[in-house]
Amino acid sequence: MNTKKEFKSPVGGAIVDPAKQSMMLAALYIAQEQNGYLTKEAVQQVAKRLGMTPGDVYSTASFYSLFRMKPVGRYVIQVCEGISCYLNDGAERVADYVSEKLGIKLGETTRDGMFTLETVQCLASCGTAPAMRVNDQLYENLSPAIIDDILERLMGEV
Amino acid sequence: MPNLIIDDLPIEVPAGTKVIEAAEQLGIIIPRFCYHKALGSVGACRMCAVKFLQGPFKGVQMSCLIDAQDGMVVSTTDEEAVAFRKFIIELLMLNHPHDCPVCDEGGQCLLQDMTVAGGHSLRRYLGRKRTYRDQNLGVFIAHEMNRCIHCYRCSRFYQEFAGYRDLGPTQIANRVYFGRFEDGQLESPFSGNLVDLCPTGVYTDKPARFQGRRWDFERLPSLCIHCSLGCNTIANARYRAVVRVEARFNDAVNGFFICDRGRFGFPYTNQPERPRQARIDGNESSLEDAVAGAGRKLADIAHRAGPNAIACLGSRRSSLETQGLLNHLCQLMQWAEPDYFLDPLLKKKVKSAISQLDSRVAVSLRQVETADFILAVGVDPLGEAPMLALAMRQAQRKEATVAVIDPRPVPLPFSFEHLAVPTWEMNGCLKLLMEEAMRKEDEKSAARDRMAAEEGWLRNNPASAEIRRQIAQLAALFQASRNPVLICGTDIVPEATPAVVGAWARSLLEEKGKCGLFYVLPDANAFGAGLLGAANDHAFLETVGAIERGEVRALIAVESDPFERFPDRSRLEQALAKLELLLVLDYVPSPMVQQAHIFLPTSTLFETGSTFINQEGRIQIAQPVYHGGTPLSQMNGGGHPPRVYAGGLPGGEPKPAWQLLIDLAGALSLAIETGAVENPLSLVASAHPLLAGLKNTSSLLDGVRCLPDVADAEPVPADMDPAVGPGTENELQLLFVDSIFGAEELSQYADVIRQVEGEPCLYMHTQDAERLGLVEGDRVLLTLDAGAIEARVCPSQSMAPGTLVLPRRRKLEWQKAKSFSTRVTPDRIEKLK
Ligand code: SF4
Ligand code: SF4
Ligand code: FES
Ligand code: FES
Repeated sequence: MNTKKEFKSPVGGAIVDPAKQSMMLAALYIAQEQNGYLTKEAVQQVAKRLGMTPGDVYSTASFYSLFRMKPVGRYVIQVCEGISCYLNDGAERVADYVSEKLGIKLGETTRDGMFTLETVQCLASCGTAPAMRVNDQLYENLSPAIIDDILERLMGEV
Repeated sequence: MPNLIIDDLPIEVPAGTKVIEAAEQLGIIIPRFCYHKALGSVGACRMCAVKFLQGPFKGVQMSCLIDAQDGMVVSTTDEEAVAFRKFIIELLMLNHPHDCPVCDEGGQCLLQDMTVAGGHSLRRYLGRKRTYRDQNLGVFIAHEMNRCIHCYRCSRFYQEFAGYRDLGPTQIANRVYFGRFEDGQLESPFSGNLVDLCPTGVYTDKPARFQGRRWDFERLPSLCIHCSLGCNTIANARYRAVVRVEARFNDAVNGFFICDRGRFGFPYTNQPERPRQARIDGNESSLEDAVAGAGRKLADIAHRAGPNAIACLGSRRSSLETQGLLNHLCQLMQWAEPDYFLDPLLKKKVKSAISQLDSRVAVSLRQVETADFILAVGVDPLGEAPMLALAMRQAQRKEATVAVIDPRPVPLPFSFEHLAVPTWEMNGCLKLLMEEAMRKEDEKSAARDRMAAEEGWLRNNPASAEIRRQIAQLAALFQASRNPVLICGTDIVPEATPAVVGAWARSLLEEKGKCGLFYVLPDANAFGAGLLGAANDHAFLETVGAIERGEVRALIAVESDPFERFPDRSRLEQALAKLELLLVLDYVPSPMVQQAHIFLPTSTLFETGSTFINQEGRIQIAQPVYHGGTPLSQMNGGGHPPRVYAGGLPGGEPKPAWQLLIDLAGALSLAIETGAVENPLSLVASAHPLLAGLKNTSSLLDGVRCLPDVADAEPVPADMDPAVGPGTENELQLLFVDSIFGAEELSQYADVIRQVEGEPCLYMHTQDAERLGLVEGDRVLLTLDAGAIEARVCPSQSMAPGTLVLPRRRKLEWQKAKSFSTRVTPDRIEKLK
């Protein structure tokens, strides 16, 4: 028997519907696309739509590094620090190179709000390591020259 | 049953027992952080490592994760295991701020104990520590996340055990954070248990912050008297004030936990407004003079107007000692027996409920957790007996079906089937459900047709189709259940309900061989009041009439404040003003104390220690925790106490109420049985056959039940239908109800409780709200017989149509209603702009 009933209480609490719960990641992803990161309002909105508490949603959102809880630059550069990229003499060199070039440390955003630099684990591109991702675009077989190229193009796009 | 050897000691345990539990049975306490008996194992901390020498597992393993199995040989002292645990404690301490001097957990901290026990006395790690931002979690709990060791006890309790979801883990890996989405009062009314559960000082008791270390406290077993369940507590006092209350484990009552009303509701004993001095006509006097004065006046009134001119009002929050002595005094003086109830109807229901209980059917709060079907009738657990909600949730977590027949928008932290029928339909609804559940298969469809034709009330109920569907489904589940428990309230139910539920419990017992019966009573010692109270239907309502008629000229109110629950405030005030003598004994600054001609200060349960009977019929005792007196913080501006006392404890005048009653008897030149002075329980023990066990007080700390083997149950009244039937189409029944915070008498003297009680709401069915043109949040003026009150509208889908629900908040002046239950026409509800 389905005894599910919405639990409304003057002292709070909620019963979670598994079907709705399973939509959470997709919902968060869509919400993140609006501003590049999850605003507090976005978390509350997702919670409301899915019949969960904002705490539930925040708990999940903050678990995944691909969901951001703070504003980021227009381009988020994610340098792979997975094992293949590391072995290919990539990870540190690539990250250092970008960092120096943009004048920001890992986790920071350039003053003009253009670039955010972070590292991620394997981008599933080990065969073409070292690799990095800028927003949704993957870049492979990186070298300083290629990186210069990419950054210049991105800067020119504005 | 697996046989194993732990540290050379053989033991046999039931299958499914974890090794950590098996060791505990041998008296070997394996270090642990995340494992907790009530919460189970998760393997988060790795602290419980032991070495498996023989059997299906080998090497160092977590004893909380592995079931005891035949042939296991386990060592807790093996070098490798000890080294492992030492390593773990060092690891857990890497990020710990090590701020014990400013941490309230210090001195009662599992992490401290393990650090010391693990021999980790030198910090080798000199790097930076992880830090977090703390949150404001409201008035009850202070938050210091830096101290967290990530055992997950808090979120497991908060979310899984208790069913609230506004606190939990966030972030990942090294950054895992336990908190809320944003700052704010924790929503769970069981949040205080985080303080007891957290093995370090992340959550500490906020009102008790920085008030002392555990060893500074006078610390003894006590009881909670903020509802009828009688949860076991430990009270901590220091500098003549109760500082904090913790849960005390009792396997038959509250288990490991208590609710926030019980934990934070104690400050009535410390409050500066507490009347500590005897008074005659508003002037302070010595206790002796006041008692003597009262004796003279009483003797005079009795002499002039006869013993019937004196009435006594006892209290359901008084100890058994006080209730017993008051009864005894009345008998000796040939005064009428004391009233313990304002409303004759409530008295009938409580007495009927008590008469249904016997050792075959009565179940404890913990046994409710084991039920596979729970039917609760006319009870709002969170409002009337908060820990019951937690017990019901545990049953529901084990797949029990829970059904509640109640007109209110009953909030429970789990999913359940709510049969939201108005009070006058509750008995009918219960009958339908039970008959359907007890019926043999072949009778069913015929009976259902009959039911459709007969039950007129269902036709009037717009939700009847839904309710009928629910009943059919529930009946099937009920029939299949092996261990059902019936729970019954006594507050809003019609007169017959306790007896009806009792009768069903007995038939189910016959049918299934097992059925539990559990009542919720009004107040901590309602059971005592019901047992000792008069057999007649007399209640204080009639005494008020007698005062108005001039028949009763003196009233003795013992720890009783009728202003709390008497529904007509001005009538009560006028009646009391007519009295020649109003003698009040109490420990809270109630309006009665203000009106008293003679006032005698009594001591609280923390000062006296006393005996109470909970709703299950379990006699339990609280021990005296401290000696009373005005808290030091309220003297000398909180500075150093005077070095020389001029005799007596400052503010230490109050005496136990029963003691004052003995003194009063003395002043009336009556001799109370010798022995009563040393042991007032001896008098109580002879007052009722079920209380004979009281003579042996040594067994009372864990509680003993005073129940007959077979109940001499009051029969179901012939007229099962309640007096308040369906009124005219438009009328709404107005129910005054309890709520977790703000409606219970003693706890509302506490500042922190007042801060969380929230704004009073007028609950009504969404459909009624629509009819009245009201929406959520509207403010309305509700005109009652003696004036109007203002409240916020809270429409709800999950309550009975035609019913208005209003919590009895002190702020609300609901006493303008003039009667215990009332109906209002829609024109009495006016929307405010
Ligand atoms: S806050 Fe306390 S109970 Fe919760 S995980 Fe951390 S140490 Fe454990
Ligand atoms: S459930 Fe009742 S007895 Fe238990 S702690 Fe809460 S108020 Fe006290
Ligand atoms: S390790 Fe960098 S792509 Fe796999
Ligand atoms: S108690 Fe076993 S891992 Fe924590």
